[in-house]
Amino acid sequence: MTTSFTPRPSQREILNYTGGKLGISAVPGSGKTHTLSALAAQIISEGRLQAGQEVLIVTLVNSAVDNFAARIGDFIRARGLIPQIGYRVRTLHGLAHDIVREDAPLVGLDKKFTIVDESTSAAILHATADAWLRSHPNGIDSWLAPSLDDFQRGKVMHKGLPELVESIALSFIRSAKDQRLTPDRLRAKIQQQPTPLPLAQLGLELYSDYQQALAYRGAVDFDDLIRLACDMLELSPQLLERLRYRWPFILEDEAQDSSEMQQLIISMLAGNDGNWVRVGDPNQAIFETFTTANPQLLRDFIESNAHRDMPETGRCQPLIMDMANTLIRWVMDEHPIPAARDALSPPFMVPAPPGDPQQNPPADRDGIHFLGTRLAPEEEVDQVVSSLAAWMPDHKDRTVAVLTSTNDHAARVVGALKDKGLECRELLRSTAPTRAAAGALSLVLSCLAEPGSATKMAQAYRVWRRDWREAEEHLDLLDQAARSIRQQKRVEEFVYPLAPALPADRTSNAGRVSEADSALGVDVAELEAELAQFKDVIRRWHGATLLPIDQLVLTVSQEVFSSPTDLALGHKLALVLRQVADENPAWRLVELVPSLRDIARNERRFVGFSADDAGFNPDAYPGTVIVSTMHKAKGLEWDRVYLMSVNNYDYPADQAGDQFISEKWFLRERLNLEAETLAQLKAANSVSEYDYYEEGRPTRQARLDYVRERLRLIFVGITRARRELIVSWNTGRGEATPSLAFAALKGWWEARAGTAG
Amino acid sequence: MSLSSEQQGVIDAALRDSVFLYGAPGSGKSTAAVGLLKRFLAGGVPGNSILILTPQRTLQDPFLVPLRSPETVAGSDVTTVTIGGLARRMCDLFWPLVAERAGFHDPTRPPLFLTLETAQYYMAHLVRPLLDQGYFESLTIDRNRLYSQVLDNLNKSAAVGFPYTEIGARLDAAWTGEPGQRRVYRDAQDCATRFREFCLSHNLLDFSLQVETFWSYLWPDPLVRGYLSKTYRHLIYDNVEEDVPRAHDLVRAWLPDLDSALLIYDEGGGHRRFLGSDPLTAWSLRDLCNAQRTLETSFVMSPAIADLTSSLRGVLESAERTGLGAAPRAIMDSASREHYHAGLQMISQRFYPQLLDGIVEEIRSLLAPDGSEAQVSAGEIVVLAPYLSDALRFALTSRLEAKGIPWRTHRPSRSLHDEPASLALLTLAALAHPHWNVRPSKLDVAHSLMMALGMDLVRAQLLAEIVYRSSELTLSSFDVIRPESQERLTYVFGSRYTGLRDWLLGYRGSLPLPLDHFLRRLFGEVLSQPGFGFHRNLDAARVTGKLVESVRKFRLAMEPAFVGEDHPDFDVGREYLSVLQEGIIAAQYLEGWKPATDDAVLVTPAYSFLMMNRPAAVQFWLDPGSSGWYQRLDQPLTHTHVLSREWPPGRQWTFSDEEGANRETMTRLILGLLQRCSRKVYLAITELGESGFEERGQLLYAFESILSGGSASQ
Repeated sequence: MTTSFTPRPSQREILNYTGGKLGISAVPGSGKTHTLSALAAQIISEGRLQAGQEVLIVTLVNSAVDNFAARIGDFIRARGLIPQIGYRVRTLHGLAHDIVREDAPLVGLDKKFTIVDESTSAAILHATADAWLRSHPNGIDSWLAPSLDDFQRGKVMHKGLPELVESIALSFIRSAKDQRLTPDRLRAKIQQQPTPLPLAQLGLELYSDYQQALAYRGAVDFDDLIRLACDMLELSPQLLERLRYRWPFILEDEAQDSSEMQQLIISMLAGNDGNWVRVGDPNQAIFETFTTANPQLLRDFIESNAHRDMPETGRCQPLIMDMANTLIRWVMDEHPIPAARDALSPPFMVPAPPGDPQQNPPADRDGIHFLGTRLAPEEEVDQVVSSLAAWMPDHKDRTVAVLTSTNDHAARVVGALKDKGLECRELLRSTAPTRAAAGALSLVLSCLAEPGSATKMAQAYRVWRRDWREAEEHLDLLDQAARSIRQQKRVEEFVYPLAPALPADRTSNAGRVSEADSALGVDVAELEAELAQFKDVIRRWHGATLLPIDQLVLTVSQEVFSSPTDLALGHKLALVLRQVADENPAWRLVELVPSLRDIARNERRFVGFSADDAGFNPDAYPGTVIVSTMHKAKGLEWDRVYLMSVNNYDYPADQAGDQFISEKWFLRERLNLEAETLAQLKAANSVSEYDYYEEGRPTRQARLDYVRERLRLIFVGITRARRELIVSWNTGRGEATPSLAFAALKGWWEARAGTAG
Repeated sequence: MSLSSEQQGVIDAALRDSVFLYGAPGSGKSTAAVGLLKRFLAGGVPGNSILILTPQRTLQDPFLVPLRSPETVAGSDVTTVTIGGLARRMCDLFWPLVAERAGFHDPTRPPLFLTLETAQYYMAHLVRPLLDQGYFESLTIDRNRLYSQVLDNLNKSAAVGFPYTEIGARLDAAWTGEPGQRRVYRDAQDCATRFREFCLSHNLLDFSLQVETFWSYLWPDPLVRGYLSKTYRHLIYDNVEEDVPRAHDLVRAWLPDLDSALLIYDEGGGHRRFLGSDPLTAWSLRDLCNAQRTLETSFVMSPAIADLTSSLRGVLESAERTGLGAAPRAIMDSASREHYHAGLQMISQRFYPQLLDGIVEEIRSLLAPDGSEAQVSAGEIVVLAPYLSDALRFALTSRLEAKGIPWRTHRPSRSLHDEPASLALLTLAALAHPHWNVRPSKLDVAHSLMMALGMDLVRAQLLAEIVYRSSELTLSSFDVIRPESQERLTYVFGSRYTGLRDWLLGYRGSLPLPLDHFLRRLFGEVLSQPGFGFHRNLDAARVTGKLVESVRKFRLAMEPAFVGEDHPDFDVGREYLSVLQEGIIAAQYLEGWKPATDDAVLVTPAYSFLMMNRPAAVQFWLDPGSSGWYQRLDQPLTHTHVLSREWPPGRQWTFSDEEGANRETMTRLILGLLQRCSRKVYLAITELGESGFEERGQLLYAFESILSGGSASQ
């Protein structure tokens, strides 16, 4: 074995895998990713691969398997072989990209095809929706609520409707691509329908315009990539045969978030008798609403193939585990909507066995709290902040998170924490080093785009000295030099003095150090030397602005970065910016700089700059309050967790009085128009007579899907907590009540306390 | 250089007979050919009776050295030419004879020969409106690549020798992909046909029409044939395997008329397949020669490299047998592994920039190991990659420079669009021609002031902010600037600015000149004057020369079609600016290729190195995981193999054809490189490639097969 990994009994069973299809249902904290990695290492080290073969690992995020990747790399290098051979870790997009690159022309792509990033795709979508609305000003009229007065109507036309059309476009296009319908194929299908499908027609028009805009750029988007990969595997049996040979073992992580297309691609790659291990936790499937993910696929797979459970977890204290298990039982047995009872399912969580390196924290009755009082949203925030203010001073070594249901809500919590002087940090999934490197480059490039700005030059100076940020002994000099640069009134005289100033002449501030500077404890000679050194740098950079953008970026990044990851990212950004510049020949620095951050964020989809970039590590922030949405918190854990606004607005149960975010007030009968549109798409594409479209039914079905997903979200929230969990709710806009799950769990807790007391 | 007895034998035979010479790279074939040329000249054979034919101009270099040597006997000039060059000369010479027969609409007007770029321009002009009508709708491709592929099809039809009207049908018949894609071939055919008709009606001759006119109308004409036969009595044809079938057809027909001929075929060649070269038709010339000779001894490879070559050959050939790109793992004992390491070494890093540091460090230690003598000279080192991006070239060469290691690179220049000097000139041209309505950005104006006036960026930007109004395309006078700002900008720069502005104003008041004339005047009268930015900047002067030349060629190529009464609004200068910016013309030029004796590390794409046809002691191979080592330069609108002569019309191009072609390409390339390596190959590997992707292509697997002998899988 290549890892020093002591498997638990359930993990050992999985390591006994030799071949065939295997489905694994794992609970939070059961070490599924680790086990999968160990399995891959085992397959490689036991010599089950032939020349040119690899274990293919498909996952949601690369960072999860990076430690493993590094270990295997070392192992292979130690044997004098070529590192990185024997396995391949990919996200679905990365895998699709690999497949498409095998033979792009087969599906009408030039080999040098480009992929538009998410921001470009969003911009195209926005423009498409906007253009459609302008050419069809009354296009949505028949769905508007008849009761709208002129004022309301004006408001809707201005804001609500454009947003709605854009979100319909997004989900329609994504869904059409998931069903592998090109605009042409879809048009033909709609025309064959016996009854008109006006929403599908609307979606088609948006889809068609969007694709045309992509084609004009010679580009595809991420969803196209997956669709095309699928097409290629079907079109070319030889390609499929080659890939099947290459990947005799496929290990799929986070399989609960698999979409039909992902399943189709992997099942084609695995073949009927292939070796395919799928691991996931259907109870943690929380991306269904935003994507085409479907947890039922994993459930079906587990049911129809060999399967194992991984129920042991060392994460939470026993009472929190009980609470999570109680939620599963309550949903399965008692949820008032029978159709929602399959939202959660076993396995139940069981504690790690004795002797396991990760033992559960000890049971603690004081570790669970329900704030049951009726609170307005701002009052709830106050309560949470006060609770933290009281707790933090004595628990500097503990980690803590506040989990909210929306980004807006998270931002309000951050504001309140800051007002109270508590150290806090908002969790952004896009990782720090990538953003920092891109940010640093963009500061320097902004300075070069506006060379006369002393402020920007001071920022560029800080970037140049970014390694000093952590060095206490340089901080004074750093601040002083930056201040001195910022105060330059005549940057040209500072950087390019034409006549040397007389030694006694201190009237001009051109690069000279003022008396005030020396009063601040910084040695004048030292400061002057520092500034002189920076001036050399900035002059070099000014000269480099005449170079093409890629060479400019390389020049700058070689001077400001020292870590290999940053340098590699600099190189990559240089290539991508060059491509952007080639696509937009009229763009100069001013236009290119803003796209830098977007690019950096987007490139992470494929780029494996993740070893030093392995996502957020909560344990690195003891004593700091981490604020996050529940969605972003998936995969993370803290000692103490606050779950906020667990009310019937954010977590509806389809009871009388429950409202649904997707059901717009300005539409008649509060239709969920997005769901209605997707249902028309499905009807158009289906040959089954049961898939006919009936207005209103999709809205009701969407409610049910939403109810189920929100139950799983509560489950995810609960299982983020190791030792302590505080759950609260608020009244929303005035009428919200505690969610049914909240009430059920609170009831369970009180009954337990009663029994215990 | 003294010649071997085999080489002498070849020369003796080729003095008065037709000889087909075959051999591996590095076996001294070209040297023998040069020896033959010298013998001819020394023996009094008139230079102008000797024709040296090569597939591309750079391959003529070995012959140019003796021709330019002072020791060479004075006399008439030897003709060195490619098939395209010969076709063009003949078209030019015999135009009146052939113009009407060849279908040109106005035989009384002279022909205009298009470069690749001007042809691309005309193609864009014709195809752009069709794109808006829905042509090529199902295709995802950059527009400029689309234009060039349609042109490429025409060139292939001429070079391979099939009617251009069959392009679409041939491609369509071979297609096995998504059926909806078929329509693009119809569109491609239509565009090719329109282009040909446009050329015929405007007397424009692109490469394809030059070759077609020569082959179909000039060569069969007794007058032309007589002229050629009378003029050239001796043929030296090097690298026949890299040339196109039409060139082979020509030589086949010509051979019987010649007094002597030496045809040289490189073993394992065929690297220009993507340009239409055909080793098979080249090989068929062998039997037409009266003598066949082979040179066997390699003067290049060390025993370690020779062994590495034979192992790799074994792996690659066994992959061919087993298919699937897989090769059985070889077994290797530790002694043979050590032996390999004499000829092969790995440099491996996680990230790309780290790897470049590692390579430069290794080169440094090769050149000057601590305290001891250099192991090799810089000129014997070459750094190769399947693709050489600008960023890679820059990143690598700037590192070499930082270590004081001389380097050179072997690829076309930067586009004039990327050259600061040409950008500055074109910005000033836009300011001088307000009727173009091209409005440079403030940053562009600042950069051009920086270049033109020798200013620093900060003052240039400040000046541009104050004086330039893009809405009116005006530059205001320095005299009306506030004194405080004048002081900041300095009066020295102020007076230079005034000089430039006055000149531009004066020009705007007169009749506009053609752009190239304008640039010449601007350079001569202002920018090159003492104090101005181009005065001491030789690089800028060189770029100016190239820009003037590029504009002039463009203007001459445009005049027959667009300048005149039919197109009163057409302005060549404005059009040049716009096509340069859109990338329709890249305006690249070959920088004077330095002779191989230059003592500098060569950084070049692998194919270019092969086509230089010279050895190197040490080769660094970058990106061995890249698919660029074997995947054909693929283009959705054209097809190297399907449009080749041996492809049976109507046969489908299948996946296994593709795989076979890939293997063949890689084998050819790898063996070609090794045969040109005398001492060591460094395999430079990163976990993440230049773009951040993991790359594990076939070449890496081939090396792994060799190196993993006896590994776990057994």
